[in-house]
Formats: sequence, structure tokens, C-alpha cells
Amino acid sequence: MNPAEASRQIYWNITHIWVMYLLLIPTLVVAGYGVYRHLQRWRRGLPATRLDQPGRRVRLLLQHAAAQSRTARDVYAGLFHSFISYGFVVLTIATTVVALDADFGTTIMRGWFYLYFQSFIVDLFGVLVMIGILLAVARRYFTRPRKLVYTNEATLILAVIFLMCLQGFALEGWRIAVTNDPWAAWSPFGNLVAQASQGVMSKTQMRSAHLGVWWFHLVTVFCFIAWAPYTKMIHVVTAPLNIYTANLAPLGASLKTIDFEKAESFGVNSLARFTWKDLLDLDACTECGRCVAVCPANNVGKELSPRDLILQLRNLSAISSNGGPIIGASPAISPNALWQCTTCAACMEACPVFIEQMPKIVDMRRFLVMEEADFPDTMQAAVMSLEKRGHPFSGTQATRVDWTKGLEIKHVSELADAEVLLWVGCGGALVERNQAVTRATAQLLAQAGVKFAIMGRDEKCSGDPARRIGNEFLFETLVRENAANLNKYQVRKVITACPHCFNTFKNEYPQYGASFEVLHHSEYLAGLVEAGKIKPTAASDCKVTFHDPCYLGRQNGVYDAPRQLVQISIRDKAIEMERSRNQSFCCGGGGGMSFIEEPANLRVNQERAREALATGADVLAVGCPFCLTMMEDGVNAQKQDREMRVLDVAELLWEASRQVNV
Amino acid sequence: MNIVVCLKQILDPEIPARDFSVDTEKLEARQGSASLVTNIFCENALETALQFRERSGGAKITVLSYGPASAEDSLRKGLAMKADAAALVLNESDTNPDPLRVAQVLAAAIKKLGIPDLIMLGRESGDWGVGQTGGLLAEELGLPCLSFVDHIETVAGQLLLKRQTESGWEQFEAKPPVVVTITNNEYNVPRIPKVRDVMSSYRQPLETWRPEDLGIAAETTNQYYEVVELFVPVKETSCEFAQGDSLNERVEAFAQRIVAVINTL
Amino acid sequence: MNDVVITFLSTTFDKAAQGLAGEGRRLADSLGVRLHAVVVGKPEADFTANLSRVADKLVFVDQSELSLYQPETYLTALTQLFQTLSANTLLLGNDTYSQELAPRLAHRLGGSAVGDAVALRVVDDKFLVTRQVYGGKAQAVIELKRRPAVVWLRARAFSPTSPRDVQGEISQLTLALQPDTRTRLIEQKREEQGEVRLEEARVIVSGGRGIGGPEPFESELKPLAELMGAQMAASRAACDAGWVLPTWQVGQTGKKVSPDLYLAIAITGASQHMAGISEAKTIAAINTDPDAPIFKHSRFGIVEDYRKVVPLLREKLSELRK
Repeated sequence: MNPAEASRQIYWNITHIWVMYLLLIPTLVVAGYGVYRHLQRWRRGLPATRLDQPGRRVRLLLQHAAAQSRTARDVYAGLFHSFISYGFVVLTIATTVVALDADFGTTIMRGWFYLYFQSFIVDLFGVLVMIGILLAVARRYFTRPRKLVYTNEATLILAVIFLMCLQGFALEGWRIAVTNDPWAAWSPFGNLVAQASQGVMSKTQMRSAHLGVWWFHLVTVFCFIAWAPYTKMIHVVTAPLNIYTANLAPLGASLKTIDFEKAESFGVNSLARFTWKDLLDLDACTECGRCVAVCPANNVGKELSPRDLILQLRNLSAISSNGGPIIGASPAISPNALWQCTTCAACMEACPVFIEQMPKIVDMRRFLVMEEADFPDTMQAAVMSLEKRGHPFSGTQATRVDWTKGLEIKHVSELADAEVLLWVGCGGALVERNQAVTRATAQLLAQAGVKFAIMGRDEKCSGDPARRIGNEFLFETLVRENAANLNKYQVRKVITACPHCFNTFKNEYPQYGASFEVLHHSEYLAGLVEAGKIKPTAASDCKVTFHDPCYLGRQNGVYDAPRQLVQISIRDKAIEMERSRNQSFCCGGGGGMSFIEEPANLRVNQERAREALATGADVLAVGCPFCLTMMEDGVNAQKQDREMRVLDVAELLWEASRQVNV
Repeated sequence: MNIVVCLKQILDPEIPARDFSVDTEKLEARQGSASLVTNIFCENALETALQFRERSGGAKITVLSYGPASAEDSLRKGLAMKADAAALVLNESDTNPDPLRVAQVLAAAIKKLGIPDLIMLGRESGDWGVGQTGGLLAEELGLPCLSFVDHIETVAGQLLLKRQTESGWEQFEAKPPVVVTITNNEYNVPRIPKVRDVMSSYRQPLETWRPEDLGIAAETTNQYYEVVELFVPVKETSCEFAQGDSLNERVEAFAQRIVAVINTL
Repeated sequence: MNDVVITFLSTTFDKAAQGLAGEGRRLADSLGVRLHAVVVGKPEADFTANLSRVADKLVFVDQSELSLYQPETYLTALTQLFQTLSANTLLLGNDTYSQELAPRLAHRLGGSAVGDAVALRVVDDKFLVTRQVYGGKAQAVIELKRRPAVVWLRARAFSPTSPRDVQGEISQLTLALQPDTRTRLIEQKREEQGEVRLEEARVIVSGGRGIGGPEPFESELKPLAELMGAQMAASRAACDAGWVLPTWQVGQTGKKVSPDLYLAIAITGASQHMAGISEAKTIAAINTDPDAPIFKHSRFGIVEDYRKVVPLLREKLSELRK
């Protein structure tokens, strides 16, 4: 037998093929309508610029839709999902090949291609799909992780896919057996079915079974195709679309700007106020629950669930007449949940299909704050203080220059040739514990001979808390005031110890025409260490672990500079917590949350403190004023016999460097 | 029902003491890092008026101020909080007018607006804290006056005024028109205006007058009283912080000091 | 023509009355004029006995039109009373009624008023009054331009004078009064404040924003106050939050107190609060922030969370008092 002529008869044993084509019509109509409905939902939304830079977008597709690199972060799930998805891809190609040969007169399904691909590879992947389904079933029904959504739809999808594969192998096996297929060995699993059937069925029985199952399979598949767009299976289409239209900017630049001149209303309380991309997000969700698993609020038992927020918005979106209010329409979209978000963006980092959960929360906060003036009392006090005094710490009697006592610090107007501006920030100036960090940073800069200046009383809050709480109007006011001052003093380079200031200067100020170079203090100090201008001479014996601030690490990709400072300040190797770098667990202070009184048993910082203490470290190193105070509170709340100090990396470095060997 | 609420714009009184300084020549505080804010008791008054309007089913609230051009911001914020109308009498020459001058200007403005049923002021301002403007205004208009009010109701055309005293409270019945000065309580904390209302407040009309337009002198002659000296008293106590190796020791030391004082009584 | 009048709207010779009387006496002596005391109320034995040892002349007005306080009626009465005397200085205390009547009285008499005075002097015929301004951050000296000079005093800041041997003349007057009915007092409530009024208290335990809620006032501070024989008070922040009654408020716009010991717990010490306790002899503070302004005015303090200190403090105080 000549392998070059290897093939099989398409539609063997089947007659009345026209019925199949006939049935295709309603299938495609129903499926098409399903897809159309999704399109209609997205069309309701406002415009968004998400089709620029196609080169980068295609790369995203390759990484995340093709290689599914985020899905693979969970090895088990990644494995079975790739089995199923790649299996489907292969089976679809195989079916397409058949269609081409059957309907378009091509002769692709021949020879070595037929043997290697259409027979062997397809068989292999068919089995992988079934193994994938079994692994998925084991997780869903035996392990039962909390983060999954347990619906009948999910069960049915798994069952139907398994059934289709089962049907496929049955058909193949019986064909092989009845036709004495010479190439049977190239389809090992079909061959197995053939041999097993030969033991219990006659050829006549196999023929009839084949006929019946073929039509059964057809109906199953067509029903599946028609049904899929109405289920989470639509993610096959929407996920790549969503990945393609993802936000290419760093996570710290995820929020939208508002044109106050033109906007008719502020924030979002109806679906039509979301952009089409927001609405596409809702349809891309596969209910995997990874965002829930990493959400710090959810982890400590609060109601906030990024996934449920998306799914409940999706449900509202499915009600075509829904132009009504969405806040409070569903438990996960309740104000209570909205005010629990720390804006850490762990949900966005975890999402395999690049859904943007956190910006939607901020959009809805904007509505509550700017349209209704309805938000928690303590946040109101912070906002009023920002308006009147340019800082959120209502009631403080500290001034912006108290920390300079005993140090020679120049105002930017007094130092014409300053290399860099040290932006102190509200925490660094007005919170007693954080003043020590500012002092350490200033002393390190002085020791290194850096010509730096400060804005002193001219500093106003960078605006980050206002923006995250949802008062975009106040944020813009603060940005303009700060930008005017920075321009007045012709500031070109800024360093700051606060990742929130860092993030907003880097990613958000440029949108208002204020562009300057900005570095986190750890980056600048690391540079000084590398240049030999800071020489730690008294490395500590302490065991240290570093907590990545969300706004520095995950949202801006700065992980190594602070670690360099830690490592150079201690003798031993620094300890890494399990949830670190882009998977760091929030301290609970962002998003205006440090201005909220959390219930004593639902505190995000305590959860992280437990994790830090479990490493056995003596020192928890941080790089953010919020993290510093939140983690100190968190550590103190754990009644421990041993002490764990919480220090900023600058303090750690200063401790190791303050004795200068002349 | 017509209500006029008088607002005063002052330098933020809550800046840290270390940032506060006075000009001993000009006899006023230096602005320094302080922003301009509406006096908190004036805001309490406006909040009381707004809540009264919500409870009683309707009233026209006009906010009025005698101040420099910057006082317009206080009035705009009043409009953003949903006052219905605003009027400013421009003070371009009186630095720190005495309370009688202020009362005379406000009286003239109120006569021009038409005497309302209720005139509300804060009990005193956070800068000079004089506490006389309300009473003097009542005298200028020949109206009854009640101070330290924190709650207003209306019953059959009469007003019910509840006011704080040093030992509790008193409830008065009043026939409008009447002048009240308002003090703070947990309920009249001023509301945060909605951003959209803040934006639209700048598009609303604002009546602006000069004192001459109201038939009074352009400048005061400080006939009532005059500030002759202003200074920041230097008062430094050195605090003894309780020392000790443990919390127990420190609290022990602290307790000893307390007992030492009490035993001398 | 130049006599000094002191005005009393109640007949208790408490610390405020003593301060008012004392300062009236000192002023009259320094000017070489007489001191008249005008009292709305019944000539009550103790009160009359004490006051007559200070003032040269006492006039009591006790008539039905004045039995219930009505501002405009009282104003008319006091105006008439003052006009029967040849005086050009009128002093009052800082009780609620005096504060609201004084400016209006000045207006009716064609004079000038100023309030919350902590010092008075007449120099070259100029009437100069010292008072706190800018929320207690500064002090100003005010010159009153018109006479009579009507001044309400931060009464408890002034010390009493020793009783004189000679007794003042006591008389009663009935005025022709048309009561004003535009406003009418219909209900009065005295809050339970402990046996001693805050302004009279010698020891005060006060809580601020840092207390965090109403319960600790009851469960932590109250037992401490009882142990110390203290009255309880609060800063404006605690009152505005509704944690305690407004009558507990001490500060610029609350009570002005002058205790021997003021224990400030979780109070920052903003100038507006300090303005109410500037006459306190000893201030002690418990606060987690070593840089809190309260410590700059305190004699002694402890930097710690009050939740850790107060229970332990109660223990120690119980032991020490045994």
C-alpha cells in the first residue's frame, strides 16, 4: 500500500448528506445571532482607543491567546486547558481539511499529511482533550476550589465536549473495524476502539451503530456550536479580542481621564457609560476565579469579588433593555463592595484574558463621589482636607517642613543648579513614622553629594488618593496646581519615596501636560550605590524580607532596585515571600483604604503581616509610606513573642551606611 | 419662606500652629500656607438652613457675604450646596472691619434683598472670633435675635428654635422675621457638594454691590472698636514624658504625677 | 459719670461671679470710681452677702416680666437699668445670656462691646481689652472707641478680691417693662453633668478624636474620672462625631475651663482646643504621637495608646489612693 495515497472515504456509510447542510443553516443562524447579540452589547458603550500599535497587540495575542502564558501560571489548570484548547484547534483544523476536500474538491487529506497529521496527531489531541476534561472534572467535583463558579452550564459544557470526543473515537473505531482500514495503526486510539468493538459487535452492528452515532454526533456538534455563543464558551472569540484590545500602558495607567468641559455626567452608573472595551471585558470572562483568589479584600473575607462584579455586570448587560442604574443592582456591585477595593490591580495581573476589573470599580466610585457626593465619612474628611489644605490627613498639626529640623535642606528656589527634586509627599512629611524615611533618604543623598532640593510648603498632594477615591475633579485641580509649581521651578527630575506619587507623576501627569523624569527613591539610591557614592559599611545580620508595593512593583514593574538596596544592607540572603513581585499581596492601604476604618477581623494588612512573620524575618522591608504604616499596624496586631521591625529600604540602607569610613 | 445666610471667608484656621504668624504692623495674620475657606460656623448655618428647607418642604435660601473679591468662592460653594441665590458686597478698602461696620453693611444689603423670614449667621468666625455680628445686625434691623441655635423647625407659621446653653439646651418659639446665630452639633456638619453642582455654580448669577450702592459709606471709620496690638504669645512648657523600661513602669510614673497634683487639691 | 457696673443674670456666687466681681472691683479702684452691681433675680441670702462685700451699690430687679428669660425684654430692662446709673463701663460674665445680650446692649447704649476678655486696662482714657484671637493662636489688644464700654469677661480667668469690711447699699427697682413677645422660651433642659459644672471643676478628664467612638468614654474614661474625682469633657471633634453631648465640648467655642488638672486623652491639642483650657494650671496628656501639640502645653505626658494606658492607670491610681 502506497503511503502517498493514504486516505479514507469521507462520509463513508453516510447518505442524505444534504440534511447536514440543511441543519447547518439554523445552527449558523442561532450561533450567528448569539455572536451578534454580544456585538450589540459592546456597541452600547462609549468609544475607546484600543486598536493602535498593532505590532504590540499581535505579540500579546501570540503570548497570551496562543501560548496562554498566564493560564499556565497555574500548572494544573494550565495543563488541562492547553490540552482542551489546543486539542480543539487541531480538531478544528482536521474538520476544515475534511470540509475542503469534501466541498471544494481539494486533495489535502492524502498521503503523509493524512497519516501524520489527520490520523496520528488528531488522534493524540483528541485523547488529550478527553484527559483535559477529566482533569478539569476532578478539580471541579473533587477538589472543589472556592474560586470557581459552580453552575450547571459549566458541568454541561464539560460533559458535551467529552461526549463529542467519545462519539468521534467511536465513529473512527467502527469505521476502521468495518473497512479494515490499512492505516489503522496511524490512529492508535481509534484502533483501540476498533479492536475492542470487534470483540463484542458484528460488522453489521458496527455499521448501524456508526450510522446512528454519526448523526447523533452531528446533532451534538451543531447544538454545541449554536449554544456556545450563549455560554462562557464565547471566550474562544472574546478572549483573543480582549487580549488584542488590552491596555498597552503599565497597570498604573489604567484609569480613564474625564474631559470636564465636555462630559455630560461623571463616572458610571449605567452600562452605556462604559466603553465598548469595558463591555467586551464582561463577555471575555471565563469564570476562572483567579482574580478572586488574589484579591486582598476577598482574601480576608470581605464581600468584594472582582469576578462576581464582572459576571453580575455581564448579567445586567444581557438584559437588553437595561439602561438603568447598575450600582446596587446586584450584591457584587453594591457600594459596600466598591468601597473595599485597594486598587492594587492584582485582579488585572491575574486575569488570563486581560479583563480590567479595577478601573470599573473606580468608574463607579466616580459616580458615587462626583454625582451623588455619597461616600464613606472618613474618606469625606480626607477629601475635604485635600481641598482645603492640600493633604488628606485631616486634623494633623504637622507642617510640610517639620522633618527638616536639624538637617540642611534647601528649597528649590534657593538651589538653582539642583540635580534632582526630592518630592516628599504627604505621608513623608506629615506622618511622624514616615518622616524618619524622608530623613534617611535626605541624609543618604547628602552623603552621596547629590545636589537636591525640596518644594517644601509648595508641595500639594500628588492627587493619587483623590483619584482613587473617585474625585477626579479634585485630582485634576491638584495636578494643575502641582504642575504649575513644578514648571515654575523648572523641575526636570524628581525622586520620591512614595510609589503612589511615583505612579501618578509617571503615568498620569503627562496626560495633563506635565512631563518630567521621575524615579522611585530606591531606583535613584541603587544608582548611587552602583556608582560607589554610597558605601554600606555596616551590613546588618538581620534576616530581611521585602514586601513589593503594588504601585511600584505590579503596576510599574520596579522590583529589583529595592531588592538591591536590601541585599547590599545585609549579610545574609534576603528572604522572598511566596506572594512577591507581580504577585505581591497588597498591604491594604491603597485606593483610599488607609482612610477607612476596617472591621477589626477583616484587615488586609494583618493577612500580609502573618505572611511576613511566617518567613521568620527580623525585618520587613518596604518601599512605600502606606505600606510602612499599614504593615507596622498589621505586625503589631499579631501578638508575637518576637519583634519584627518594619523599615523602609532607605532606612535599612542608611543604617548600614551612616558611618562613613574616611 | 425666605432665608438669608451670611457667610464669611477667612484664612484656614486649622493650619498647624508652627505655620502661623502675624504681621504686627498690619495687625492681621499672614496668609502663608493657609488657603481661603468659609468660616465653619457659617457653613453650619447654611447646612442648618438646607436641612430646614428639606424638612419644611421649601424655602428660598440666599447666601450673602461682605468681603473681598475672593469671597465669591465662598458664595459659589454655597450655591453648589444648593442655596438658591447669592449676593456679594465688595469690601475693597476695609481691612478687618469692626463688627458694627459689618452689621451695617449686611443690614443694608438685606434691606435691598428684602427682609426675609429668617436671617442666619455663624456664632463667631474662626479668625477674630468676635461673636457680635449677629446681635448687632439684629439691632440694625430692629429684629429679635437668638444665639447658639443648632436646630430649627417650623410649626404653623412660627419657628421653633433650639439653642445650646452651657448646661443643656433651650427651646424658643419665634415669630418671623428673626435673626439667629448658629453653633455646631453632630447633625449640621456641612454637606459635600456634588462636583456637577460645583461646576454649575459658576454659571449661576451672583449679585455684586459696593457699599455705596447700598447707601452707605465706602470705607469704615472704625468708630466701634480698633485693634491696636496683635502678637503671638510665646509659651513654652517643657513636657516631662513618662520613662521606664516597660509600659507598666511608665504608667506607674505617670500615675504618681497625677496623684501628686490631686493630693494638693 | 465714670462708674463701673457689673451685671449678674443669676444669683449664684460661683467662681465666675467671683471673678467678675473681683475684676469689677479692681477696675473701679484703679479708676477711683464706684462699683455698681446690677442683678436680675431675687436677692438671695448668700449671694447678696458675698456681693455686698465687693460692690458699692447693689440693685436687684425681680419682676414677673423677667422671671422667664426673653432676650429683648432683658435687653430693655438692662438698658433702662444702666441709664439710671452714671456709669460708662459695663462688665458681664461669659454665660450664654450675657454673651448674646452684651453686643446688643452696647448698640442700644451707643457704646462698643468686646468679649471673652482676659485682661482689661484703661490707659489715658482709652479702654483696652486683651483677648485671644485666631483660634487661640494669637492675642489682640482692642481699643473700644465708644462709651459705655461693654465687656464680657472670661470670668473664671480672673481672681476674686478679698471681701471688704464695708457693705454695699442694697436696693430693689421695678422697671416699667413691655415684654417683647416676638420670641418666647418654652422649654429648658439641664443635661446630667455630674455634681460639678465643667467650668467649676478642679479636675477634668477629657477625650478627643483619638478615642475612636462613644463606648470608650463610658467604659474607659468614666471609671478613670470617677477615681480621680474628675468631671468629663471632650474636644470638638468628639462632640461633632456625636460620641458625647455638646455640653461636654471644651475649646474656643465650647466651655472655657480652668481646672487644677486637665488630663487630655487622645487629643491632638489644636489651638482651638487649647483656647478653652488656657487657664488650666496643669495639663497632662496621653497620646500616641510624641509630636502632638498637646505635649507642648503639658507638664507631663505619656506617649502610648490610651487603650493600653487607661486600664493600667486605673489600677495604679486605685493602689496609690489606698
